[in-house]
Amino acid sequence: MAFRFFINCDDAHVLSTRDQYKDLDAKEHFRLNLHKSHCNGCRKFHKTNDLFTKKMNGLKWVRLSDEQKQKIKDRLKEELGR
Amino acid sequence: MPEVKLVPEKWVDRYGDYLFNYTITRINDAVLAQDLVSETFLAGLKSAHRFQGNSTERTWLVSILKRKIIDQYRKQNSKKGKAEVRVSYLATSDQEGDWLEERVGDLRNPTIEDEIEQKELGEALNACIGSLPERYATIFVQKSIDNLETETICKEHNITASNLWVILHRARVQLMECLKDKWFNDNI
Repeated sequence: MAFRFFINCDDAHVLSTRDQYKDLDAKEHFRLNLHKSHCNGCRKFHKTNDLFTKKMNGLKWVRLSDEQKQKIKDRLKEELGR
Repeated sequence: MPEVKLVPEKWVDRYGDYLFNYTITRINDAVLAQDLVSETFLAGLKSAHRFQGNSTERTWLVSILKRKIIDQYRKQNSKKGKAEVRVSYLATSDQEGDWLEERVGDLRNPTIEDEIEQKELGEALNACIGSLPERYATIFVQKSIDNLETETICKEHNITASNLWVILHRARVQLMECLKDKWFNDNI
């Protein structure tokens, strides 16, 4: 993609989402910020997006440990082998 | 809709955490939850020949898990189950003191309220993830919760990076819509 200054709202939304995962390079950051500077809707969307990420990261996720997973896998394998 | 085939080798990696989270919000006992999840996989394996391919793998596994959880509730509420529960309380508790006292929340401790809120939010998020299309849900969980690399996910699902971001974006928009009432009321 050739370097463009102005992007549409759809692109800005996707950039905003990518920003949540720290995936933007400097050019993309610039484009997103430029777009936000004149688009109220995307500014709002970005704010909500930020909040969503913050809340989600605050959650404690219960996860199976690798050891537990391995145990279940072994049991499954045993069963499959029959 | 293409016919869905079961891939038992990947079940644990793909759905293990999701099912575990699903169980623990309902059972509230990590050991039991783990057992139920592994029983679900085993039961799935046994009745795999009855799977008709009308639903996705995950939906099918969740429906098995639901039955298992209901069975568990029944067991706990039966007379025999009640006796078991009481015995296990006495046997495992190494703290001394009144049963009731131990269950009263410490009001000076601000984290308890937070914990309750966290739990509710987590349940809500889990429910909303469950209502996403399966592909979206898997990718969202892999990226946001398992923190996998973009390339890894792309390879697994055979999609391009820009594809992945659009999917993630749509998933997040749907989730935010779904969680609007619960999460965002007080903060905006």
